[in-house]
Amino acid sequence: MLRDRNVTIVELSALRMAEWVPLIQALAHLDLSDFDYVSIHLPSAMNATEERVVVQSLQPIQDRKFPLILHPDAIHDFARWRAFGGLVCVENMDMRKLIGRTEPELAAIFRELPDASLCFDIGHAAQVDPTMTEAYFILKCYREKIAQIHVSEVNSRSKHDSLSYATIVSFRDVAHMIPAGVPIILETPVPPEKMQEQIDKATFALALGADSELVAYS
Amino acid sequence: MPPQQLPIFEPPSELDRLRETLGIDLPNIDGARAEANAFRQRLESALDGLTSEDTSIALFGSLARDEFTSGSDVDWTVLIDGIANPKHLDVAREMECIVESLGARAPGREKIFGKLAFSHEIIHQIGGEDDTNSNTTKRVLLLLESAPIGRRDAFNRVLDSILSRYIIEDARFLQESAQFHVPRFLLNDFARYWRTMAVDFAYKRRTRAREGFAIRNIKLRMSRKLIFVSGLLACFSGHILLAAPELSALISSANPPYEFVRHLRRVFAQTPLEIVASIINCHAHLRPVGAQLFTAYDAFLGVLRDDQKRAHLENLQPEAQNGDSMYQEIRNVSHEFRDAVLTLFFDEGTGLSQLTRMYGIF
Repeated sequence: MLRDRNVTIVELSALRMAEWVPLIQALAHLDLSDFDYVSIHLPSAMNATEERVVVQSLQPIQDRKFPLILHPDAIHDFARWRAFGGLVCVENMDMRKLIGRTEPELAAIFRELPDASLCFDIGHAAQVDPTMTEAYFILKCYREKIAQIHVSEVNSRSKHDSLSYATIVSFRDVAHMIPAGVPIILETPVPPEKMQEQIDKATFALALGADSELVAYS
Repeated sequence: MPPQQLPIFEPPSELDRLRETLGIDLPNIDGARAEANAFRQRLESALDGLTSEDTSIALFGSLARDEFTSGSDVDWTVLIDGIANPKHLDVAREMECIVESLGARAPGREKIFGKLAFSHEIIHQIGGEDDTNSNTTKRVLLLLESAPIGRRDAFNRVLDSILSRYIIEDARFLQESAQFHVPRFLLNDFARYWRTMAVDFAYKRRTRAREGFAIRNIKLRMSRKLIFVSGLLACFSGHILLAAPELSALISSANPPYEFVRHLRRVFAQTPLEIVASIINCHAHLRPVGAQLFTAYDAFLGVLRDDQKRAHLENLQPEAQNGDSMYQEIRNVSHEFRDAVLTLFFDEGTGLSQLTRMYGIF
């Protein structure tokens, strides 16, 4: 699907712990040569034992240098993640979570993981603060750390949704602060025939050039 | 340490700093603050999952201002910023039970508090026919004297949205070419609210057959006026709280409205007394005014903290006030407070005099 649209960016997700082992096993033989950028989304919830298992299973693939998208509330032991340095990519959270949603909360995370990068989820930031003030301050403080962007509508049930008019208008308020050339991952759940429409909407929402190739689906 | 325990840094108390600088005791202000903290902790412990990502409990009045006494009401509202749910009323009823179980006085008679409040009207109806007295009161007091308990998500979103309305829609004041960077839209609503409080005093005098006249009169002169004072100072804070380079950096930043909203959120996170203290801490020559103002306010809280004196004022009839020594004494305290406030707002050294003339009259 992505190759057909000349999309060269992809995030491989194992949001649930049960998906993690199949993903790690698949990485051994997946042909990712067509992709310029590949990231791995780690399980969004792990207990301490599962965290150990995930960290151990990452070590053999560390040299492939995939950014590792990590929810801060999934962390039990920061020390385990410090060894991965800038490969750890902390994602700002939605309003269901109690941490990692705002600039001060991210500051506390980055004090523990000073080399980590940021997956800026603009949909989460808009849900936490629809005025986009929080998004502005996250971008202002952590612009240099941004490794990738997640784009979606996050609705009032904290579910990913396709981009609405109001959300597009909001995103454009801060689009100029997003570094150029950063990989953009769409998390808008639509059928295949609607994918291009979402890519076009995201391109407009983030004020990207019309021929931008930096948009991909998670 | 798991992420949930990581500290978010809180600034130190401006009031504590001022008290040390002035070398004065403010036992009633300190005592009321301690009582407020203690009661809020009891409330937090009792909430037990009552709040959520779209429902906060906002406290108002003396409990939010850190001026709590045994005779204080507990003013609260269930602030909803999300999908409407009939069960929200159950949240309000549960909150009523919790407040009652803690032995506190229920919200006042005007019925603005002690129930549900929806963010939509508060954020969208600023001015115009649909901006009722109740709606304006909730919105202005959310800024000037509120404190969330439980989950703060809805509270934070609503305050950011309210301030965004005032600031982004009036953003010309943040242009570099503006002579003063004062949010006039916000200031006008604070001024409107202050005058409304004063007019409502007359309304209650008429409708309540003079019941509680004396204590309401003193509160208008002191705590209600303090709320307005702190709101005005917040509006002027670009010039009197920020150093010139800081203000210049804000004005020339990538997005001055967002920066100013964040600045005001930090200011309004403080109580009215803390806001006044922060201004005086910035300007050494204001220390004598600070001593006069805080000493008077401490005396006022001393009366409220004394059950007998409070009861005396609650029962004092208007025709008896001229001959009542306690009322006359607290009235003199209110004059000290008034004079200190006037000296503050007409101070030349801070530039407040010019700001007051430019924005405080028309």
